[in-house]
Parts: sequence; C-alpha cells; structure tokens
Amino acid sequence: MSSQPVSVKGSGGAGGAPLRMLWPFALALAVAAFMHFVVGPNFNGTVVQVLLFAGINITLAVSLTMVNGFTGQFSIGHAGFMAVGGYVAGGLVYYLSARFFDSPQIAFHGGILSAGADYRPDPDHPLPLLSRGDLIMIGSCLAGGLVAAGAGYVVGLPTLRLRGDYLAIVTLGFGEIVRVIFQGTGPQVLFTKAQEMRDTPLHQLAWKLGGAQGFNFIPIYATLFWVFLLASITVAAALRLKYSSPGRAMISIREDEVAAQAMGVNVTRYKVRAFVLASFFAGLAGALAALSIGQMNASAYGFIKSFDFIIMIVLGGMGSISGAVLAATVLTILPEALRQFDSYRMIAYALLLIIIMILRPQGLFGIREVWELGPVRRLLARAGRGGSAA
Amino acid sequence: MSLLSITDLSISFGGLKAVSGFNLELAQGRLQGLIGPNGAGKTTCFNLLTGVYAPTSGTIRLAGRTLNGLRPHQIAAAGLARTFQNIRLFPELTVLDNVRIGCHLRTRSTMAGALLRSPFHVREERAMVERCRGLLEVLNLADRADEQARNLPYGDQRRLEIARALATQPKVLLLDEPAAGMNTQEKKELRGLIRQILRDFGLTILLIEHDMGLVMDICEFITVLDHGVTISAGTPAHVQNDPKVVEAYLGAPAGAEEVA
Repeated sequence: MSSQPVSVKGSGGAGGAPLRMLWPFALALAVAAFMHFVVGPNFNGTVVQVLLFAGINITLAVSLTMVNGFTGQFSIGHAGFMAVGGYVAGGLVYYLSARFFDSPQIAFHGGILSAGADYRPDPDHPLPLLSRGDLIMIGSCLAGGLVAAGAGYVVGLPTLRLRGDYLAIVTLGFGEIVRVIFQGTGPQVLFTKAQEMRDTPLHQLAWKLGGAQGFNFIPIYATLFWVFLLASITVAAALRLKYSSPGRAMISIREDEVAAQAMGVNVTRYKVRAFVLASFFAGLAGALAALSIGQMNASAYGFIKSFDFIIMIVLGGMGSISGAVLAATVLTILPEALRQFDSYRMIAYALLLIIIMILRPQGLFGIREVWELGPVRRLLARAGRGGSAA
Repeated sequence: MSLLSITDLSISFGGLKAVSGFNLELAQGRLQGLIGPNGAGKTTCFNLLTGVYAPTSGTIRLAGRTLNGLRPHQIAAAGLARTFQNIRLFPELTVLDNVRIGCHLRTRSTMAGALLRSPFHVREERAMVERCRGLLEVLNLADRADEQARNLPYGDQRRLEIARALATQPKVLLLDEPAAGMNTQEKKELRGLIRQILRDFGLTILLIEHDMGLVMDICEFITVLDHGVTISAGTPAHVQNDPKVVEAYLGAPAGAEEVA
C-alpha cells in the first residue's frame, strides 16, 4: 500500500506536472506563513520558543530517519552535523552583518518574515517582506547545510563499510571531534572591537568562533516562519524519498543488505546518499537553532544531544516519518509542560519512554506512516466513501 | 557460443577447498541443473557467480563479459539474478515493493528527479508499477500485492523471490532450491512455472534442487558436485546411472571399501 498516499495526491491535481512537482513547497510556505502570522502573535514568548524547538527537532528527527530508519545504519553523531551547520551559519551571519551593516552593534536587520513574534508593525517604519539581512541569513543557512553535507560525505564514505555497533562508534567519535574542534577555535571578535573586525580578513574570522566560551550575540533571525518552512520541506522530501525508487533502494538495505546487493542496489552509494542528505537537513536545522537562541556552545552538542534525536525516532518508530514528527513534537513539548512538577518531571519523562517501549517496542507507528496503519486506513476509507456519497 | 561460461572456478576457505575446478557452459535458452549432497558446494558456486565471494581462481563470463572482480550489484546489472536458498525477501515491505526494488537497477531517474517528482520520474514509477503487477500476475501473486512479504505462506515467498529476480531483467536466472519446503501440488505448479518463465522471458536458468523428480523432469543437462568437485555431468539419464553419483548420495556399495 506504500506508494499510494503520495503519488495519488500528486497526480490528483488538475494542474499537471508543475503543480505535481511544486505543491509540497507551496504547502510548506502556507504552513510556515500560518505559524508565523496566525499562531505566533497569539502566544507568549515561552510558547513560541517551545514551538521553535519543536520545529527544529522535527527537522532533525526526520532527517535522522533517513539514515537510521531508511538504510538501517545506526548513526549517533547527528548533533555533530547540527553543530557544524550552527557554527557555519552563526559565524557567517555575525561577521557578514558586521561587514554589511555599518551600525554600532551587530543587530537584527531582517524583514517581516524574520521579525520575532513580539514584533508589532510600526506604520512609520514598515519592515520589508525580505531584507538584505534576510538574504545574508538564508545564504548563511544554506552554507551551513552544505558544509554539514560535506562533512557527512567525508565521514560517510570511509565509514559506511562498517556495520551496526562499529558504525555507531565512528559516528559517535565524529560528533565528539566536531565538538572538540569548535571548542578549540579562537576567541570571538566582539562588536566592541569594530576596528579589529574590519581589519581581519574573513578567512581568519572564520576561525574565531569563540572556543570554549561559546559564540554569542548572533542576530536572531529564526522565526516560526523559517523553522516551519524548513521542517515542512524536510518532511516533504523524506516522504517523497520514501515513496520513490531511490528511497526504496535505501529501505531495502535496512531490510536485507545481501538481498539488496543481489537485486542490483549499490549499497555503498545509497548509504552515503542518505547520510549526505540527512546531514544537509541537520546542518540547516542547526543553523536555525543557532539563529533562534543567538548563541552556539559546542558543549551543548555532545552525544547526549544526539541521543535526544535517537530517542525521538525510536519512539516514533524507526523509518516512520509521521512517527518522527509526532515524537519530536511530543518530546519537545512534554518536558516543558511538566515543568510545574519540577523535580518529578525527568522521572515522568523517563517512565513514559519505558512504558511505551514495553507496550510498543517497535515504536508508535513501527516502520509505517500513520495513514498506513490498519485502523486509520479503515477510518479513511469510510470517510472517503461517506464523502463521495454526500 | 554459450551465454554463461565458467572455467576452472575454485575457492578455498583456509585449508578447505569448497569448490575446485568447476566448469560449466550454459547456452541461451537452456535449463541446467546443479545437484549434489548437502555441503557439496552448490550454493557456494552461486555465491561465487553473484560476487558474494571472490573466487581464488577461475573465470566467469556472461555473454562474453568477464564478471570476476565485479561487486554484487554490478553483476546483477550485467544480467545475473538469483534467488536464495534460505529466503531473503525484504520482510517488512509489501509484495509490490519487493518486486519494485528488483526494478530499481534499470531505473534512470535521479534522486533530484525523485525529490522533485519530475515528469520523467513519475512516468518511470508508473511504468514500474505496471511491470511489477504484470510479473506478480505471472507468478500468481497479483492478489497479494499489498501484503507484507513476511506474512506470505512459504510457497508464495519462494515465488515472490523469483518475481523479484525477474524484475531485474536478467539474462541468466540462478534458482537456489526453489522447491524447498513446497508440497506436492506446489512443486507441480512450480515445474510449470519454471518452464513458462524460461519460454516467455527468453531466460536461461541454472537450478540447484534437491527434489530429484523435479530436476530429472525439467533439466536438460545436470552437473553433479560432491565435496566441491564435479563428479559427473550429462543428461538426466546419464547422471542417474553414473555409479559415482549413486555413491555420493548413497555411499559406496557393500564390500566396495575392501576392494578399494
């Protein structure tokens, strides 16, 4: 039943090929705009912050699904790719803003889409939809994603010959190496030293990422718009991949690597491709994470952070994209919702995980999507019949 | 000129010569059998042919092209497909998806095409589904297309393996004990099925099988292995009456040991 959901929707449109190709992006824009213009202004800052993290975690969990869920490789270095994206994008936005905007301090120069939820339109100084600052931010995020993808390729190519525990150890090592490298970078050039910042060539600034002190004062551009645009596109890409020939090739590796090879699947190639694609999205998510909290600190991107994402996809069901989305959302909101119970909340959180693992060891949705589960399918079929009868 | 030509194929695992000096010529459109007692090296031969193991010596040529040193997926692309003795389906996937993965190596659309749902990609995916449904029809699995592979009965799983292998559009199909675990009725149907795909797909088949009734009935030529060595080769009638074959299966006749 697997190919039906996506391809039927795609061919159902009357607009033909362009519509079929682009409708997920249009939908992603709509979701992002809805979150930004409708949801954002109606909630307080704390809620918005939690929603931002939920969107970022959805992106990370879904991208990790491509590796751990599709190809069945056990990667536990996802936070490493996130850190790469975050530092590259954060560094670029910070230092490029200093070059391009001649202001006493490195501040926000975005348009409406990058303005925080507390922004109230000022009729005398209307913000443009997209400003130069936004373009710098978008370029920096893409650079962060691409560098992370490159890192994924460099790690992936030699190590994907390894399997199971051995691969896990190498990816774990990668995450730690990334952390140590960023902790070893030079001190950040602060905006109080405008002269030094102007005199230092960009390639030298690239190494001044704050080291163990962290990289601070990154202008805050990540809003519900950008975060949910990325999350929606990641989900769409993962779904399209899952229900296409390259994606099935990846999944066949998880199911039986020997049989996959015998059926002509270039196992190494598809493992590396999954790894690179997942790293790209993880890098983008890391970039938005940096631009949402305004600072990067490598110590926050150790293997414990990687395990957060592992827990999300295990809970949602390895290979289930909708499961990863649900688990990432719940596991981001839950600890915040339980905050009033304070010291008991970590116990409750852990207990919940244990109970779910006992009741559903394969995760909430297993390898399937929510609309492929038996009860949901029957419900959908009934709704479909009712709809056509009406 | 034979399609598949194997010359002096050998492999040793440490001191154990699992297969030594194996020769085989398989002409287009033929159906040959490979038999031998348990542990004779039949499946090892298949693993050598499909690149799972690298031979210690010898050459494998398919339609004039040397396959030695190619990786398994490249050998599949060259036109050699197989089924597995201990079924190796993609258990969690549907029957249709199993067959579609067999089609993957003949697809030409890219990852970008898949992510953007380019018109070419969409057409290719549609054609793929059509072809897979056709294959399932032939193998009598059409009404099971949406079931999970692991939920199929044993005989159906065996036939699904054949469907998946056919999806790779092979020149030569290697069947590793396709009748294992089947009942008499299923075996009878399998016999017809093998003849049918041999004819309809312009295939060439090499068959490992323990069911002598099946082998003797459908194979035109049989090679017998014992302890990695070819002990006999010829028509079913010839092989059946070869004392060496009888000895390999049943042991030496009473009194023979004293003579030797």
